[in-house]
Order: sequence, then structure tokens, then C-alpha cells
Amino acid sequence: MKILSLTIVLFFSSVISYCDENKTYEILKNLRCLVCQGQTISDSNSDFALTIKEVVNEKVEEGFSKKEIYHFLSDKYGDWILFNTPLKKNSYILWFVPYVLFILGGALLYLVIRKRTEKTK
Amino acid sequence: MLSNFGITVSIISLLLTTSILYLSYYDLKSSGNNVSKKIYKFAFFQIVFTFLGFITLIVAYVISDFSLINVYENSHTTKPLFYKISGTWGNHEGSLLLWINILVLFSFLFLILNKNKNKNFKLYTLIFQNLLISAFLIFLLTNSNPFSLLYPIPTEGMGLNPILQDPALAIHPPLLYIGFVGSSIYFSIALAALISKVDSKSLALTIKPWVSVSWTFQTLGILVGSIWAYYELGWGGFWFWDPVENSSLMPWFLMTALLHSVLVLERRIGLYSWVIILSILTFTMSVVGTFLVRSGILNSVHTFANDPSRGLFILSFLALMVFSSIFIFFKYAPDDNKNYKIFSKESFILANNWFMIFFLAVVLIGTLYPVFLDTLTGQKISVGPPYYNFILAPFLLPLLFLMTLGPKHKWISSDMIGIFNIALFISVILFIIIFLSIKDSSILMLLILLFSTYLITQTIFDFYEKFKNKNINLSRIISHFGFGMLIFSISLNQIYSVEKSFNARIGDEKNFQNYTIKFNNLETFSKNNFKSVKGYFEIIDNKNTTSQNLTPEIRVYNQPEIITYEASINTRFFSDTYLTMSNISNSDIFNIKFQKKPFMNFIWFSVLLISIGGILQFLRFEKKI
Repeated sequence: MKILSLTIVLFFSSVISYCDENKTYEILKNLRCLVCQGQTISDSNSDFALTIKEVVNEKVEEGFSKKEIYHFLSDKYGDWILFNTPLKKNSYILWFVPYVLFILGGALLYLVIRKRTEKTK
Repeated sequence: MLSNFGITVSIISLLLTTSILYLSYYDLKSSGNNVSKKIYKFAFFQIVFTFLGFITLIVAYVISDFSLINVYENSHTTKPLFYKISGTWGNHEGSLLLWINILVLFSFLFLILNKNKNKNFKLYTLIFQNLLISAFLIFLLTNSNPFSLLYPIPTEGMGLNPILQDPALAIHPPLLYIGFVGSSIYFSIALAALISKVDSKSLALTIKPWVSVSWTFQTLGILVGSIWAYYELGWGGFWFWDPVENSSLMPWFLMTALLHSVLVLERRIGLYSWVIILSILTFTMSVVGTFLVRSGILNSVHTFANDPSRGLFILSFLALMVFSSIFIFFKYAPDDNKNYKIFSKESFILANNWFMIFFLAVVLIGTLYPVFLDTLTGQKISVGPPYYNFILAPFLLPLLFLMTLGPKHKWISSDMIGIFNIALFISVILFIIIFLSIKDSSILMLLILLFSTYLITQTIFDFYEKFKNKNINLSRIISHFGFGMLIFSISLNQIYSVEKSFNARIGDEKNFQNYTIKFNNLETFSKNNFKSVKGYFEIIDNKNTTSQNLTPEIRVYNQPEIITYEASINTRFFSDTYLTMSNISNSDIFNIKFQKKPFMNFIWFSVLLISIGGILQFLRFEKKI
């Protein structure tokens, strides 16, 4: 019985650490290495990147959520560090204009085709 | 010596260009149905002298003539000959010279390949093309002269950034430039067509081969750039939505839209103005791309050297170009008056254009928004892959669906085609098989897999049907099949990629999932222009007990002094194994990054297929004439 429970505990703890690792990767992939040219923290070997990797690792181990970690980093280094642009007042245009354009384009296309279809009748 | 020769040759090119402008302008008024013989002669000398300028610069690089600043800044005597040559266009000034050479080449080819076209149409095209050529020659001579002298003459050059010393990157700029600059000729043709009131059919026939050619080269250029990024930059990805990558993709969207619209113009004599607008926009976007890359306002992996005054020149040139095009367009644009029904090929081609313009808009906004925000408010934000994936991925579904159904419709009008056919049935079955073998994935990803499978199977069915009827449009089938394969392989690549990074010393062994990685040995050696630390690793796949040996390197180049991390990649048919290592300072510990990248070969091959479609379209066109 003891052995069984131990196995279960071990199994789950390994699952948990595995998930943690994935979470760390995901976060590191979305961070910009500030001292490099357009590289992510995950891909960079610079000292800055190594420091941030340490920090993110620690935060994940301490149980912080992704959102909290992003928040922590952007407070410290600015939004420049986040590749997944947060939805804020200054990025509404960035996030919404594409959809508006798509709809406008569709409407225009519809009008053009309808106009021409009428003419064929 | 070479400096004087190069400058003289470039000035002669400029004089010849202005002479062609002058002659063409006067030839407009002359009677007679043919372009004056003189213009042919001048055009011939123009290409000879421009080409001579380029050869001069190559020679300067080959013999390492450091009296030229450009050679001094970008070359080195110990550099292998191949990279001395490719180094010619690996920098701003040299690539500008290449750009001008292609402009002139296309101008010349246009002149000699269109003997039977309307005279004024040809002359106007020549005038616009030569206006572009003279603008860039002036830019070259006044701001970015590759032949500028340096005194005293240094004994050794500064060297070329080692990550650029690579076969893929040697051919990447020429390919991309043929695409970019190739679009100049249909920019000129479009404006000339407006002024000389050429009819739709001859506009379509004149433009089409150039569009196919530039589109094919642009596609290949992007492919080669991606492959380079994949093995050279060491992060295991092939597309980062980096601003410079985006700059090459934006004209591609427009070329794709144009490639489709030209079909309508040719067959159905519709969309005249729209084709003109697209032609103008494509070259404009190419210049915008160049501006973004060369001015250095973008923060990117590719910003090697830049300077704001270049940006200013390109920007003023761009403004002038756009405003005069708009003026010419509104002054001369005719009314379109062609009709078709909703479920006709025309509508589907317009839908293609709708999506291409949308994709273009998203990439343009994503690339420029941070720049504008920074300039206007001083707030710095980053727009990276998560943004593009989030916005663009859902739109792949309707695009794939339209690509499946669109080509089956007839011109002018046809009934709505039933989608419940055998191809859909087969793709659903295939999809279920894939679905059952995937552990976890998002619904969007699964839907993309389903729709790309549908496109692939439907295209195969189309091929079979057309093959039976001997009425085959292979170019469309191959390109659409390639696109389906591309999306399919990228999705599977995303789902099945494995990544693991860890620290290790020599002799360490790391176990995870099904893999065992052994760090066996470390060796240092030195070569002509770099020193290297090479790690020997053995990777054992415990599932099928195969093992492979990988040897990532850390290289320290001496000229210029740069550290690069060389990935070691073992390519198998279905999957790549990708290993990089980096040292952790002041220790004997190395950071090892292991990646399993499935379907990489399929991704490259799909893009190759897409571009083969372009070549076939070009050949098909040639045969018809």
C-alpha cells in the first residue's frame, strides 16, 4: 500500500513538474531578449536572457500564474519585453482594426458582386 | 582605380538612362509604328554599362581592394572566395547596385520581348521604368555609393558577419530582389497602360508573364530565407513574424492577389482598374519593404547596418511615386463594366483578393503599429508571433475552403457546387485517423487540419478528373496542393514538436520522455577564420532504440569577432532532430537545447511546389503565344 501511494505521488509530482516546464517554455518564448536583435529569451544565450530564464523558473516554481509573471516582467522592463502584445488602451487599434477591415472588405466585395449580378439579369 | 572606373560606369549608366527618357519622350510624337532603333541601341548600352558596374564591384571584392570603403567594411582577405563574391550584395550599397541591375535587366527584357505591342504603350512603360532607374542611380551616386574611396588604404578589411557567410544567404537576396524589383516592370506597364489606353486583353497578356516570374522568385526567396533562419539562427523555427520577414511577405500577398486577378482580366476583360491598382501597390510595397529594412527603424534580427538618411531618400521617393501614381490613376482610369453572378469564378477570385489584402493589412499593421506608437507617444510595445497567430489562423479556415471550391466554378455564372462529395468523405476519414492519433490540441488546430486535408484530397481529385479530360491546368493544381500541404505540415509540426533544454557537463546523461541524450565529448579546433568548440552527443530514441550522433558547435569568428552557435541537425524523412549548445560563462557547464521538429522536409517541399505552380503558369503562357 505504501509503495502504491508512493508511486502515485511520484507519478503526479512528475506530471506536475512536466507541466511546469511547459509553462516556463511558453512564457520564455513570448519574451523579447532586450539586449538582442529581435530574439526571444528562450532562443537567446545572452547573460540577460539567462537571468530572465532564472527569474521565470523561480516564479513558476513559486506557483505564480502566467499572467502574474508577464505582469511582473512588464512592470519591470515595460511592454517592450512581451511578444504577446497585451490588450490595453494603446493596443486597441492593433487588435481590432484587422477585424473591422475584414468586415469592410467583405461588405465591399458583396456590393460589387451584387451590383454586377443585377446587371446580368 | 576600380573606384574611379565604377563611378564613371555608373555615371554613364545614368546618362544613358536620361537619354532613353529623352528619346522615348520624343519618339512618342513621331509617326511610324515601331519604337526607334536608337532606343534599342541605348538600352543595350545601358544594360552593358550597368552590368559592368556590378562586375567592377565584384572584382573589387574578389581582389580585396580595400581602397573602397564598402569592401573594407564588409570583406576580409581570409574569407572564402564564394563569400567574397556573395558579400557584394550582403550590404546596403552593394544590394542597391544589384537592385538597379535587375531594374535595368527587366527594362531591357521588356523592350526586346514585346516587339509587337502598341508603340506608345511600350514607350510609356520604358519612360516609367527609366524614371525608376534614374531615381535609384541618383540615390546610389549621392547617398549610397559602393565605390566611395577610403584613404589611407587599410591593409585588412573588417569582415562579413559570419551568420551571413552561408550558401542560402548568398542566393537569398538575388532571388528576393528578382521578385521585389520584378514588380517594377508591371508598375511601369500599369501606368503606361492607363495613359496609352491599352485594352484589357493586351494589358493582361503583357503583365501576366512578369507577374508569374516575380511571384515565383519571391516565393523561392522567402523559402530560402526561411531555411536559412531555420538552421543558422539556431532557434529551430522557420518563421518569426520578424519585421524584415514581414517585409518580404507583404508584396507576396499582393503578387498572389494580382496573379489571380490577371486571369479574370485575360479571360473576362473585367477588373481593369483593380489590376492596375494591384500592380502599383505591389511595387510600392516592395519599396516600403526596402525602406523598412534599410532605414533601420525596425528592431529585427536582420538589421545589420542602417542609416536614417537612406530612409529619408526612400521615403521621399516613395511619396513621389505614390502621389504621381494616384494622380495618373484618377486622371486616366476607365470604367469597368463587366457582369457575373455570385457563384462564378470571378467572385471566388475576388474573394482570394479579399483575403490577400486582409492578410497584407494585418501584417502591415503588426509591423508598423509599434513604430507609430513609439513615435507618437513614446510607448514601446512588441508585436510578435502570438499576435499574428491569433489574428490570422482562424481566417485560414475560410481561405482553405474557398481554395477548395473556387477553382471548380465556371466563368460568368455557374450553379452552386455541392460540397458533399467523395473528396470530402475521404478527407473526413483521413482527419478522423489523424484526430485519434493526436493527444491534445486546440479545436482551431484540428479544424485547420481538417480543411487542409479537404483541400489536398479535392485537388488530387481535380487532377484526376482533368487528366481524364485532357484539359489540365497543372499550375493551379500544384500550387493549391502545395498550399494545402504547407498548412497541413505546419499544423502537424506545431502539434508534434518536442523541446527540452537543460544544463550538462561532459559525460552527463539526460533522460526525458522517450529520449536519452549523452554528452560524450568536447573538442576544440581552429580554422582559417574561426575557432570552434564542438560537442559530441548521442541521442537514443528508447521507443525504437535508434541512436543518432549530433555535433553542435560554438564558433568564435575572428573577423569580425562574433560568437555563433551552430545547430546540428539530423534530417530524416519525417522528422528533424535539432541540437544547439551554448556555454555558461565561467563554468564547464553547457546549456543544451534539444528539439524534435517533425515534417520540416514537408514544409520546404510544399513551398517548392507552390513556386513550381508559378513556373508552370509562366511556361503555359509562353506556349500559348
